[in-house]
Amino acid sequence: MAVALSIQGLTKKYLDVWNKEEITAVDDLTLEVEEGEIFGFLGRNGAGKTTTIKMLLGLIFPTSGTASVLGKPMGDTEAKSQLSYLPENPYFYENMSGWDVLDFYGRLFRMGEPTRTQRIEKCLNDVRLDKRAWRRPLRGYSKGMLQRIGIAQSLLNDPKLLFLDEPTSGLDPIAHAELRDIIRDVGKQGKTVFLSSHQLPDVELVCNRAAIIHRGKLLTSGPLSELTSGDKVEVLAESVPDDAVEQIRALCPAVERSNGRVRVTAVDPGQVNDIVDIVRGRKGSVTAVLPHKRTLEEVFVDTVLRAGGD
Amino acid sequence: MVTFAIARQTVEDMLRRKILLILLIVGVCLIALGPSLGFLTPRESSAVLRSLGLAVILIAGLLITVISGIQVIPTEIERRTIYTVLSKPVQRYQFVLGKFLGGIMTVFVMIVAMGIVFLGVLFWHEKVFAPDMLKGVLMTFCQMMLLGALTIFFSTFAPPVVNFFMSFGLFIVGNLSTVTESLTENRNPVTAIMATIVHYTIPNFGNFNIQNKLIHPEIVIKNEMVFLTQNVVYAVLYSAVLLVLAILVFDKREV
Repeated sequence: MAVALSIQGLTKKYLDVWNKEEITAVDDLTLEVEEGEIFGFLGRNGAGKTTTIKMLLGLIFPTSGTASVLGKPMGDTEAKSQLSYLPENPYFYENMSGWDVLDFYGRLFRMGEPTRTQRIEKCLNDVRLDKRAWRRPLRGYSKGMLQRIGIAQSLLNDPKLLFLDEPTSGLDPIAHAELRDIIRDVGKQGKTVFLSSHQLPDVELVCNRAAIIHRGKLLTSGPLSELTSGDKVEVLAESVPDDAVEQIRALCPAVERSNGRVRVTAVDPGQVNDIVDIVRGRKGSVTAVLPHKRTLEEVFVDTVLRAGGD
Repeated sequence: MVTFAIARQTVEDMLRRKILLILLIVGVCLIALGPSLGFLTPRESSAVLRSLGLAVILIAGLLITVISGIQVIPTEIERRTIYTVLSKPVQRYQFVLGKFLGGIMTVFVMIVAMGIVFLGVLFWHEKVFAPDMLKGVLMTFCQMMLLGALTIFFSTFAPPVVNFFMSFGLFIVGNLSTVTESLTENRNPVTAIMATIVHYTIPNFGNFNIQNKLIHPEIVIKNEMVFLTQNVVYAVLYSAVLLVLAILVFDKREV
């Protein structure tokens, strides 16, 4: 599969207000995103997510390192005609209507008529913005409506690559779920999505791969299934006598009992055979042996804490 | 297309700003109230009416140009609307040019509106059309175009308040070109060198002030057409140089 985004050793340093101390916002970041992926870019506030995106779009300039976006250098105009960006808390021209803003952006994409009108209509329908609001000034829009305009403008040019920076932050649960579905639909159309987010359940639901950065440094990256797969194994069993449970607990303390069922989380896969032998030896039945899956939140917290996050 | 789309959006945005509309309305009202100065003799009244009209257009145009010029780029950065614009296939020079053109088109619309009211008032008061006054309006617009380019240049690196004082300061110094020119021949070599630098680097705004010559017919401008053409060419070329500098600075600016 072709590479949509390739980042090599990207670094961004700022000087403090007295021009004395260097602050490293992004530190030697190396990353690749393949075409068609929905890629989660995770990190705490100030981890360097937005700085990375802004460098990739040519809004700010790296101190060192390179990156190619859709095979072109950062900030290349030809690449920008095939990508889109939804900033965090997007601001638009509040005196303009939703339609007029999209019309303006359509002109920036050099779209002629009737393509421009058709695309605006399609995008506004795709983001499920109430038709009555299309011609109203944006200053009267709710946050959810503004976010829909933000998504609509990012779909206007039918992009190959979308940079979405916290697209669901601050939304009510319904708007949140709807926007998450829209992002999933975008991914199903084969577009590449670079999703910077704090909403780990969203990332878990929509992304194929993810990376975690902390203080500008890449801590880990990979397919979500790999990131969330643990080194533990779960054994589920039924009809296990009490003394057998105690025997198992002596081997492995993580034993839970409820309604006659036993769940054992084994740290060492070598313990699994012993646990199964105990259950079967006491006429109990093993109902499942499963790899223990961690949530993305657990992975994120563990990874960041191990890297010295507080 | 991209530059004009940005210019168009800028004009639409500017024309919705209350402060600019208030300046326009005040300007139009002052011009319209000119004939009420009825206690003057007809000759005095005519000169005052012309003087007032041209002065109001100059002052309102100056405020409109500076206020719109100092805000046009910083506001985009402050409101973060620039992110969604520059992440589109837009070159930075197109953004700067679009903003300049939008700002100057707004100034043009406002000066033309005041100019029409001014000529209408003159026609109503004197029952004659005064095409000469158009030259004054044209020179004011050229002066504002140059000032607009200066404020756009400053706005690529200076905050609006600093830009306001720098632009106003240079406008005042540039209007004192006769003074700086005379100082270039000062006996003190330091003063002479300083005056030469100031005179030739700061835009010569004073050259556009032809109001006196228009109000007092006894003052004749030699080769008037050449003089006016020179002023227009000067404004265009100097603005072009300032815009090139603005583009060079903005190209390196992080947003």
